[in-house]
Amino acid sequence: MNNTLVIMRKELLDIRRNRFLLLLLSFILVAVLVSIFVSSLDFRTKLDAYNKYAEALKQAHSTILPAPPQLFPLQLLQGSIEYLEILGALFAIVVGYGMVAKEKLRATLGLIFTRPVRRYQLANGKLLALAITWFAAVVTIFSILTLVLALVANSPLHLIDIYRLLMSAGVTWVYLIFWSALAMGLASFTRQLGISLVVSIVLWLSVVLILPQIGDTMDPDNQVPGGLFFSLQVSKAHEHQLLAHFATFEKVRNGLEVSSITKHYERTTFDYLGIKPKYNQTPIGYAFMGTLPNLLTLLLGSIGVLIFALQTTTRKKLLRR
Amino acid sequence: MSIALVAARQEIRTLRREKLAQALLIVFVGMVSISSFIGWLTNKNVSSVYRKVKAEGITSVPNPFEHVAALYYLRNTVIYLVLVGALLAIVLGVSSIIRDRKARTVDLVLVRPVQARLYLLGKLGGITAWLTMILAFVTLVSWTSIAFIIGKPLKASDTERLFSFFAMSLLFLLGFVLLGMICALYCSRETSALLLPVAIWSLVTFVFPQLGTAGDPVSLLNPVPLIGNSGGAFSTLNLIFSPFSITEEFKKVSSWILGNSDFVGNPTEGVLILIAVFLLGSLILLTTKRDRLRREIYE
Repeated sequence: MNNTLVIMRKELLDIRRNRFLLLLLSFILVAVLVSIFVSSLDFRTKLDAYNKYAEALKQAHSTILPAPPQLFPLQLLQGSIEYLEILGALFAIVVGYGMVAKEKLRATLGLIFTRPVRRYQLANGKLLALAITWFAAVVTIFSILTLVLALVANSPLHLIDIYRLLMSAGVTWVYLIFWSALAMGLASFTRQLGISLVVSIVLWLSVVLILPQIGDTMDPDNQVPGGLFFSLQVSKAHEHQLLAHFATFEKVRNGLEVSSITKHYERTTFDYLGIKPKYNQTPIGYAFMGTLPNLLTLLLGSIGVLIFALQTTTRKKLLRR
Repeated sequence: MSIALVAARQEIRTLRREKLAQALLIVFVGMVSISSFIGWLTNKNVSSVYRKVKAEGITSVPNPFEHVAALYYLRNTVIYLVLVGALLAIVLGVSSIIRDRKARTVDLVLVRPVQARLYLLGKLGGITAWLTMILAFVTLVSWTSIAFIIGKPLKASDTERLFSFFAMSLLFLLGFVLLGMICALYCSRETSALLLPVAIWSLVTFVFPQLGTAGDPVSLLNPVPLIGNSGGAFSTLNLIFSPFSITEEFKKVSSWILGNSDFVGNPTEGVLILIAVFLLGSLILLTTKRDRLRREIYE
């Protein structure tokens, strides 16, 4: 059997035997599912409140009724996607780091390289195992998610919704591979394992949490509970006109957000799932084209990181003292 | 010298060499230092937006973003304490125990007539002293940056609030230090010792508050309080989960201390929860059996 496949099989076996990793994946799954239940409950509570309000208006012989809240099942996934972007990235780092760390700690690298392993075979085997692991995890998460969504939303999912979910699952897979490959590459690149873990965690903290948080906090609309423009009853179109007067600030704010790969992942999945009102109930091609720059950035970033992992997980880099 | 003091001194000495703790410390101090300026810049911009809205006749309400309290600019610091500070505290706690278990120095220490609880108390004392130094520095930086923004020194009452806020932050961070130390004592693997407290942190920062308020994870990282759903089942869920949403309680208490007008309610519950977490953590840590400390740790 080809060396790449041997390494890949051995890595998959290691991951399957690692109960702690399975526990971490279960934790993500639970968080993702809790989020759907909470969103669904939130909608039902709002609907109940609306029905009571409508009933009161009817009894007062009022003919003007506000529009009832509408349920779009895929919008219930906002929290779930946010869990995947935060916790998924962290656990992906753990998996990627572990791929190289275990070899360095157990001193098995010397043994592996006594065999005729070609330059990229070790990296290829490990990256393939990562891709398969995340593929299995994403398929599991999104399958359960779809099933639960159909049950709790009490509303049928249409074929277009399934396409939207599939596209989001694909993007999630790329995003998780990005973080695992980055951690793997760093673990191979640095002489001391501790440093690679430090760099990975600081990168996670900065890219996943801090940069998007700064951008979000600087948003003028986020300065008032419930939204500034909503509280002032400013329409979306008018909001854009107003913000056009503050283009430099908006450019800096947006620049901070897009410097984070997480924001590209979030924007892409939110648009595919119609969480962003602009793309809700629109043709899938419209959301795809609208979010293409984000998707391309995510893909290019991931390709870059994969190349980095390939170039660093080599005999020369791994065996240097 | 008492064993607790010796352990505390040793802890401070070794903390200076911890790479992950140092890296997180740099991020933490850096973020807290610039957070006042982020707050000021944002406030300046939203104030201009509001003036524009007012000029267009959309509203006649006075601009709420002008003449804000001096400590208003610290709102982001609260979030960085929840994000970076808590993770730094976890790392400090975990590494303090793991270091000794890995190097087996704990075996050497415990062959002497040393009480395990005094040894652990010393470690906790060392980390507390280290965190106090960091927070004292951060207080100084925050005071200076706000004074620079408002163009005059902070009033005595604001300075007092600032000190109270960082004292409360110390109590909050110590809860996570204890969590890290306990996980490091009870886990048999280094990876799980680090990841378990991080998982618990994500549970109390994102999952529990979401269960009680229906707020999405990212929205919980905004310093502006979330308008959560408090109707129907959420009133019960909030009652159940709010005592466990430690980070949300800390945010509420901080808002109250900093005089944030967004905060409504009584901060006593939050303060009591933070104290209870610290006491419970200390109790678990200080009643740890001697044998537990000497258990082998695996990679």
